[in-house]
Amino acid sequence: MALKLNVNGRDVEADVAPDTPLLWVLRDHLGLTGTKFGCGGAYCGACTVHVNGSPVRSCQLPVSGATDAPITTIEALEAAHPELLDVWVKNNVAQCGYCQSGQLMSAAALLEGNASPTDADIDAAMAGNLCRCGTYVRIRAAIHEAAAQRTGGNAS
Amino acid sequence: MNAITNLSPDLSRRNFLGVSGVFVLGACLPSCARTPAPPVATEPFVPNLFLALEPDGTVHVTAHRSEMGQGIRTALAQVVADELDADWSRVVVDQADGDAKYGDQNTDGSRSILLNYERLRTAGAAARMMLRQAAAQHWGVGVDEVEATNHEVIHAGSGQRLGYGDLAGIAATLPVPEDPPRKSEAEHRYIGKHAVHVDAADIVRGKGTYGADFLMPNMATAVVVRCPWLGGGVKNILNKPNTAPGLLAIEILDPSASAGPVFNPVGGVAVVADDTYTAMRIARDLEIEWADSPNQTFSSDALQEELRKALTQPGTPVPNAEKGDVDAVFAEGMTELSATYETPFLAHAPMEPPVAIADVSGGMCVVHGPFQDPQSARGLVAAWLGYEPENVTVTPTLLGGAFGRKSKPDFGLEAVELSKRLGRPIRVQWSREDDIRHDYFHASSAQYHRAAIDERGHPKAWLERTAFPSITTVFDGGATMPADWELEMGFSNLPYTVENQRMEFAGLRPGVRIGWMRSVCNIFHAFSANVFADEMAAAAGRDPIEHRLEILPASGVLKVPGMQPPEGHGQDVGRLRHVIERVRALSEWDRPRPEGTGLGFAVHHSFRSYVAVVLEASVANGTPTVSNAYVVLDCGTYVNADTCVAQMEGAVVFGLSLALLGKIDMADGVVAQSNFHDYPLLRISEAPATSVELVPAQGRLPAGVGEPGVPPVAPALVNALFAATGTRHRSLPIKVA
Ligand code: FES
Ligand code: FES
Repeated sequence: MALKLNVNGRDVEADVAPDTPLLWVLRDHLGLTGTKFGCGGAYCGACTVHVNGSPVRSCQLPVSGATDAPITTIEALEAAHPELLDVWVKNNVAQCGYCQSGQLMSAAALLEGNASPTDADIDAAMAGNLCRCGTYVRIRAAIHEAAAQRTGGNAS
Repeated sequence: MNAITNLSPDLSRRNFLGVSGVFVLGACLPSCARTPAPPVATEPFVPNLFLALEPDGTVHVTAHRSEMGQGIRTALAQVVADELDADWSRVVVDQADGDAKYGDQNTDGSRSILLNYERLRTAGAAARMMLRQAAAQHWGVGVDEVEATNHEVIHAGSGQRLGYGDLAGIAATLPVPEDPPRKSEAEHRYIGKHAVHVDAADIVRGKGTYGADFLMPNMATAVVVRCPWLGGGVKNILNKPNTAPGLLAIEILDPSASAGPVFNPVGGVAVVADDTYTAMRIARDLEIEWADSPNQTFSSDALQEELRKALTQPGTPVPNAEKGDVDAVFAEGMTELSATYETPFLAHAPMEPPVAIADVSGGMCVVHGPFQDPQSARGLVAAWLGYEPENVTVTPTLLGGAFGRKSKPDFGLEAVELSKRLGRPIRVQWSREDDIRHDYFHASSAQYHRAAIDERGHPKAWLERTAFPSITTVFDGGATMPADWELEMGFSNLPYTVENQRMEFAGLRPGVRIGWMRSVCNIFHAFSANVFADEMAAAAGRDPIEHRLEILPASGVLKVPGMQPPEGHGQDVGRLRHVIERVRALSEWDRPRPEGTGLGFAVHHSFRSYVAVVLEASVANGTPTVSNAYVVLDCGTYVNADTCVAQMEGAVVFGLSLALLGKIDMADGVVAQSNFHDYPLLRISEAPATSVELVPAQGRLPAGVGEPGVPPVAPALVNALFAATGTRHRSLPIKVA
């Protein structure tokens, strides 16, 4: 049965079993391979996307639960958060980069709800996103810098 | 990160346009004698394996090493582009297939720069020389009168200039100089500076291509259910489905093949389906009866007990390492200190689980995946299929982390076998559970140290024992003992001054595959030696750093016998002392910390580099917190300064994960852990603020960066916790979640 989804502002259809996790619909059926598989168990955050603006572990969400809400993936993050991508690149945040789609989606959701997060806010919002390469100190610094850009100030 | 130039592509492009704008004005004065530009070339200029110049000026650098986060694609390009004096914004990096023509492609051992620095400089410099010659020939002037800079050759006398691309045609007709003039360190524009990674812009847009992102027409996806213990074959599938929507095939992979070349797959039942989730779901529900194997009796607890036992008796002495008479000094009744240290099995757990796609058709085989060594993978695939290597192509994608795991292409061979059988491209996708349960594990270990010390805590006699299952057990069915090169990772090459010293080792065969993981045996050897040295200092009531500087020789270069080429490296005690002095300053070691907060220090030489670490830690409600990390790295000549800093930051997190959290257990041959809930990694909320200092290159040989940051981290933590609480942890991990 074809399910209707709205992904990155486009209406799309996917002919999959309704229990298929959104992650695999994005990757295998819609060709959006920017969202990554890291654990399949809600432990790592590599699969984070936005559903209705909220960060969601797409490996845990059956696609049937995502048909009524707009979905945003890393491929479309730039439109709303160019500053995040900029500071991420400029500061060489990524090492292997595999976790970074998820990190960026979580960071974007944080900034949507908190214009000037503290270190503690960042740690709380980002604790679900593992990075085996250990890019955490740069993630913290980059989020502060992006927040400063968004609010028109300068990162110290 | 002072004095680091930002080389982001955008910035350098702007600089280039600004500068050339000024020159163009001057160059167009009517009095200039001008030669028309040479005709546009039809072919790129390809002076060597690593560099190609398009007629439009685009420079392609071929990266023959695999990118796994260490920034090697960027660093290799920085070296070539610097000596070529290219405009960085016009440099593109192409990834090489596995091919013997490149020489070593095994991206492990932190060797990419040290093995390739000189040849890549020469590659860039040769092309630059040829472009100058081409321009000189075209203008009819002497080659000494022209200069090549920032993608142009300029004749100052006439004000004429030509872009590199304009010269591609003429340069291609010239002989390649063998010993072209190369820049001095002071002339380097990119080497030793900051560069944004060439893949960074793709990665943040979800466009980086990792193993699972390389797609082929008509591909299918396989998930393999593997025997929980090593070496068990499939006896019976109890509930094999005949059909299911999306199911294409269920195939049995023979584990006996794994008795052959060591990186062959372990066998199992492959579920092949139209898509990943269908394959995973059907695989999850399969009930399989497995054949027995001798490894079913394997228990990591029992092995650990054996290792401990081995340490209570004399082991095999390290040849030529004995000094003085340890036993005689121990008989003198001086103050004695002894301790046993233990570390567990660990899994690599790169964030990207193993995955690869293969297409075997028409007598050819094409494989894409996250391979650390595409060249050896190519050889193994060719051997597996009985093909000539020329008919096999293995291309690395980006590696979503590797840490040593992906130097074994077993996952690629699974895809190759299934593609051969099914006659279509097959992607094999490992789950996280597959990854953790079927790893080539970092070996568990135990060390025993005993010393007689004087009133200043200086060792007068030092007995050191180590026991661990060797990596060589994977290569050699009869091997039990550690190899020299494993002992030389921080055990047999202790740098301290001690007149009476003996080193002994023991080994055991494990029932699992052992592999090298980021910094390998240095992890446990640096751990035990650094903690024991701290214990000597503590026993004498001494400052740990002061004490350490005293027990190190004043200077000298200690030979490291088993070190792989290139030669010219040893353990330079002066450099070791320097990183210690620098980390003392960087951490403000003598500044009092709040009550309950302690500083811990460790230093280690590995992969030809010197790293000193100070950690600041405290304990609240039984939970250790690391608030600050200070790292000083001396890796000789480095290419991307920012990458070196990032690798040290990452090493702190990697080291803290293993110090605080990491432990793999096996019982009845079966791995107990399966995912990040029971094999946790450090999270951002646990990551310390980190300061890194790089020792200036000073023209020294390049050395390793990816691994040497890891070994000092765990001992620095144990020493910090001792300083904070008075409790000495001698067994890792310190906290098991
Ligand atoms: S893959 Fe979804 S949380 Fe790890
Ligand atoms: S950058 Fe490699 S896992 Fe985060």
